[in-house]
Amino acid sequence: MNAETSAALLARLGAAVDARARLRRRPLGDTVAALAAAAARWRDDPALRAELPAAARLSPAMIAAVVPIAAEALDAVTMTKLIERTWGAGAARRPAPDGPALVAHVVASNVPALALPAIALGCLAGAAVLVKSGRDDPLSAPAFQRALAAVDAQLAATIVTTYWPGGDVAQEDAVLGRAEVVVATGGDATLAALAERLGDRLVAHGPRWSVAVIGRGARDAAAALALDVALHDQRGCLSPHAVYVAGEARGFAERLAAALEAVAERLPPGTASIEARAQARFLAAQAEWAAGATVLQGAGGTVIHEGEAAFRPTCGLRTVRVHPLADLRVFPDLLPTGQVECVGVAGADPTPLVAALRARGVSRVCPVGRMQRPPLSWPRGQRAPLFARRAEPLLEVER
Amino acid sequence: MTLEAELAAAIEAAARGVPPPDFEPWALRVFAHQFEHNAPYRAFCVRRGVTPATVARWEDVPAVPSVAFRQVDLACGPPEAVFVTSGTTNRAARGRHLVPHLALYRCSALASFARFVLPDGVRLPCLAFVPPPALRPASSLVQMCVWVGEALASSIEWMIGERGLETERLLARLAAAEASGEALLLVGVTAAFAELFAACRTRGRGFRLGPASRVVDTGGQKGTTRPLSRPAFLSECWTLLGIPGYYCINEYGMTELCSQRYDSALDDRFHGRSLAPRRLAGPPWLRTRVLDPDTLAPVAPGATGLLCHHDLANAGSVSVVLTEDLGRAAGDDGIAVLGRVPGATPRGCGLLLADLEPR
Repeated sequence: MNAETSAALLARLGAAVDARARLRRRPLGDTVAALAAAAARWRDDPALRAELPAAARLSPAMIAAVVPIAAEALDAVTMTKLIERTWGAGAARRPAPDGPALVAHVVASNVPALALPAIALGCLAGAAVLVKSGRDDPLSAPAFQRALAAVDAQLAATIVTTYWPGGDVAQEDAVLGRAEVVVATGGDATLAALAERLGDRLVAHGPRWSVAVIGRGARDAAAALALDVALHDQRGCLSPHAVYVAGEARGFAERLAAALEAVAERLPPGTASIEARAQARFLAAQAEWAAGATVLQGAGGTVIHEGEAAFRPTCGLRTVRVHPLADLRVFPDLLPTGQVECVGVAGADPTPLVAALRARGVSRVCPVGRMQRPPLSWPRGQRAPLFARRAEPLLEVER
Repeated sequence: MTLEAELAAAIEAAARGVPPPDFEPWALRVFAHQFEHNAPYRAFCVRRGVTPATVARWEDVPAVPSVAFRQVDLACGPPEAVFVTSGTTNRAARGRHLVPHLALYRCSALASFARFVLPDGVRLPCLAFVPPPALRPASSLVQMCVWVGEALASSIEWMIGERGLETERLLARLAAAEASGEALLLVGVTAAFAELFAACRTRGRGFRLGPASRVVDTGGQKGTTRPLSRPAFLSECWTLLGIPGYYCINEYGMTELCSQRYDSALDDRFHGRSLAPRRLAGPPWLRTRVLDPDTLAPVAPGATGLLCHHDLANAGSVSVVLTEDLGRAAGDDGIAVLGRVPGATPRGCGLLLADLEPR
């Protein structure tokens, strides 16, 4: 991957902003239709399917599973609902309201295809879009732009996809300085450095994790939860790292371990670094020697059943802690504020928990088995997806 | 005679030139001893379906992860000493190594120190860049320095006090040695050497210590305010102390082990192997395997893996320890340490200086 010069990139950005200006009077419904059609083309891109497993370090079977999920999120009905919810009924027949001319996305690469929602949300906001890909997925963004160009060349001209190595401050300042909004995902230090330079133009998404809660009414949520854990090899912020079980937690841990084995046969894990594998080894070892903990380890992952209730993220690689939960009502109190993105629920009505989960910083509540399928309307980080400034933190409940 | 005493005698004899203890028979004997007398270890082995009856090779003895030393006491009998790891701010989460037979630790530590640091048999005044035992009674490194001072040096002076490195006293001592042409044995944590080098640089001061002076450092970059690469460390030893690289020996040890590995440079030099690559070599009663984290099978030669030490001198606790260190095999008998598993608890004697905060 060769990083292009700032001057060349700025020239491309200028052209994208000009292209956006030419589309300012176009109804948003046309944009919705083009994005949905492009997503369908992107999903079937054979080059992407062939090259993405190696780049993203996920198994080919996993890529075959997650690419359709990423494409389905750009569903025309969902996008139309989103713009109408944001800008009122009939929004699809009108151009996008005045908003940022250029939105820049610095996407992470822990999960592939994050460029798709980034591009779609930028286009729906009526902005030109810059996507700086992550190191492990430089393919999805240009592939989507190619797909869009095939169905709507004018809209595709408003998008710039690029890559430069992280930490290139000169490039960041030159390029990101041009955008009215910069959406960045990264580690705390990276985001702090960006915040210093970009001020309130930055929408920062730091490291986050997800959890699940299993009520007494759940029949058997283990298989669905195992899929949530396994998808993307548990690398994303929507991946559950802990599950709180009202009822027989040990039995659930055993069923979850078996379900992880079964999922791994369909969706084998990708390659992991020796450092990551060593971390997993020691997390399991620590639990094995801790009082009151049981480790269930197999080819499908690791389940740690432990009495301690405090949420602690695992090292990933399909490693989950199972905690017993005496009372569903205390569940939100067990979560640290600002660290949990999504709560998957099975066998319980989440309604009484919503206010407390919102206060903890949770942005999405959904059924177990749906955790890795966020709609485009997901208010990630409790922020409005189309950059509207809202006073209250958002939480979306999917039933 | 107890098994530990018998093993200590065999190690002491090896130090005098008798063939060393035959590793595999001893490994199996020690495992049977630990299985019988160390209940938490026995339970760990039974969970894996391993008993002395099922183990035919030394490689099959189950390895205990070093994190276990933070959770339970692993000993085959009442301890004569309890050593505690340095580093984590949560003192309750520090690893504890209970040593029921201190003489075994002593003879193993001294035999390796003599072989790798003092192959010429010289006895030098020792300046210890670690706190004295009164300040750090539970440090296995400090204990080793005490023994070095008693048995292998002509004297020992402790250069770290309650407030850290006593820089002015140390600089004065080095100046006196330089003036008299006296050779010194400088032993301690790498972070303290880095502090000495910084003090020399600040003052524009350097020394030419007497010939045969030598440095033994341990602990790596942990606790250093300014990281110093190994070549830079060796360069500073030469520039600021006048000690050439082959007299600068890095030690690799762990609180959980009674044997240590050392940079092979000086041992090689005194045995006609000056061109051999630097590596961390150990005594014959310490073997190290490099293992795949998933399978715990040996990695391909030269590949990176988790370091797993099998130390017969640990007969009183657990002999096979799976560390949080990543490394690779180097040469026929050595290893190279490449770093620690990300997220592993900071620990190690390199943090002895950092530990000197008020309590």
